Amino acid sequence: MRFSKLVLRNLFRNKLRTLLTLVLMGAIFFFVSTMLSILANFEAASNSGEGQNRLGVQSAISLANPLPLSHEAKIQKIPGIVDTAKLQWMGAYYKEQKNFFANFAVDHEKMQTVWDDYSTPKEQLEAFKADRTGAIVGPELMKRYGWKIGDKVTLIGTIFPFNPEVTIRGEYKHKFDSSSFFIHFDYFYEATKEVTRGTVGTFWVRVRDPKDMAKISQEIDEMFKNSEYPTETFTEKEFQQQFMAMIGNIKLLFTVVSICSIFMVVLLAALTMSMAARERVTEIAVLKAIGFTRGMILTLMLIEFVMLGLIGGALGTFAAKLVFLVFNMTELTQGFLVNFGVNTETVLTCLATAAIVGLLAGGLPALRSARLSVVDGLRKVW
Amino acid sequence: MSRAPTGSEGDVMDSLVEIRDVYKVYKRDSFDVPVLNGVSVTVPKGDFLALMGPSGSGKTTLLNLIAGIDKPTRGQVIVDGKEISALNETRLATWRATHVGFIFQMYNLIPVLNAFDNVELPLLLTHLKKKERREHVESALNIVGLGDRIHHFPRQLSGGQEQRVAIARAIVTDPTILVADEPTGDLDAKSAHEILDLLHQLNADYLKTIIMVTHDPKAADRANHVLHLDKGVLVESAQEEARH
Repeated sequence: MRFSKLVLRNLFRNKLRTLLTLVLMGAIFFFVSTMLSILANFEAASNSGEGQNRLGVQSAISLANPLPLSHEAKIQKIPGIVDTAKLQWMGAYYKEQKNFFANFAVDHEKMQTVWDDYSTPKEQLEAFKADRTGAIVGPELMKRYGWKIGDKVTLIGTIFPFNPEVTIRGEYKHKFDSSSFFIHFDYFYEATKEVTRGTVGTFWVRVRDPKDMAKISQEIDEMFKNSEYPTETFTEKEFQQQFMAMIGNIKLLFTVVSICSIFMVVLLAALTMSMAARERVTEIAVLKAIGFTRGMILTLMLIEFVMLGLIGGALGTFAAKLVFLVFNMTELTQGFLVNFGVNTETVLTCLATAAIVGLLAGGLPALRSARLSVVDGLRKVW
Repeated sequence: MSRAPTGSEGDVMDSLVEIRDVYKVYKRDSFDVPVLNGVSVTVPKGDFLALMGPSGSGKTTLLNLIAGIDKPTRGQVIVDGKEISALNETRLATWRATHVGFIFQMYNLIPVLNAFDNVELPLLLTHLKKKERREHVESALNIVGLGDRIHHFPRQLSGGQEQRVAIARAIVTDPTILVADEPTGDLDAKSAHEILDLLHQLNADYLKTIIMVTHDPKAADRANHVLHLDKGVLVESAQEEARH
């Protein structure tokens, strides 16, 4: 481009101001890309159940209200169901309360049929099934606490008066979930039956044909509608989304904070760009005098301001990408953020936003410069 | 009042600029401020004309109209046969790019560009290739005697040298007319003399038509003709009469 030298030289004409603007924009885009990545991470977690022909059955009152174990046999009679399994959230921690992670008591025999998306080496799965106090654990937890297969681990219960003492028998792999802890439901139930009294938190239902999910879901809820323990049945995606909603409307909060940050950067960039345009009034008048048209001035200035936005945005976004590559966020957030990083979609969103910031912030100063009367601009120097 | 300056030999040359009964009124808040009141001037091709007059006499406004950066309230401005007062802003900009070379009192070079890049600026608006542009720029800088300063930035040049670069920028497109407003107003006597020599050389050797606004009688002396303006009208000039 013929004018690239003019644009680049103008971009860096006041090095300190440009540097400070880039640092500011970089910092804000670091923050925004982090927020967007957290949202994307939540979204991935919410969607982790997508495509699974699995239904979750919980109490219609709330997830905290249990269901009678007797419901399972009734559910199993509904045509189109492959298998059902009990799953109980234990809410225990390891050694100290800060060492908290998802831990469940599960029908160990049903792991393969109901949760076939969790893969565990055959011999490890068999060892888990064979050991009533066995456990299978996600890879991130194994890494976080330096556990090995065969290690004995004691969890401390918070919801139930039960401190499971288990031996790690296997390590599972899963596309999204890398930090859960599963023990035998039998072991849990025996130790807590005086409290749980024939109840469980949820049932999980494997459906043969995904097309029947809605029908079966309706049938289950209809079956217990008038019982003492009515149910509410969700697809796995709905269940995950409901679970994510329990941590508060964090998505809305992050979105609002991100929008506010971008609005702030637009205002600050507009201020900087107005100053840059203002100090060049006579130069712009000279350029117009020697033949640069209004459209050319507008284009050159907008290119300059969009470049400023893009460089600032790229600095912040790629810095965030690098930081989250170097630091293990799963470990730092104790499993709250799993497989965390700035993905390509977030990078592109941030770069596009940065370009728009440049356009919005620089639009008015560029337009005013383009509209500047040559005589008015030169009046200072003629 | 109309004037038709003649060439230095006294013969009437082809007219390049024709100002026909031009009025210019500026709006200042709710007031009309008349600046030019029915001025008519003809400037022949190849002339070196000086416009003199007290502050507020309208000489810079007249120069602006000839250069196509302002439009008259009434009347016609014709340059090289084209009525530029009838052109819209975009067409005027394109016209200026090829027909007018500007020389400012404060030089007005772009501080972030070196001498070469400053002089090349008007050529960026042409279809010339990079190599051709380089040749033109080097040629213009050689004419003004700064062939060895092409990589210097304005801050690395003296005032006289900056004005030379500005003159190189003004002539690089080989424009029809050069307009200069107080080109020596910010220079010391020696540099001013050199710049006037250069303008004289451009007029005499390269046949450039030059219209210069000046307060300085010594500068005006270097022109072929001098017109005086006062309160927006051309006035009789003892100096000009003496020349005749």
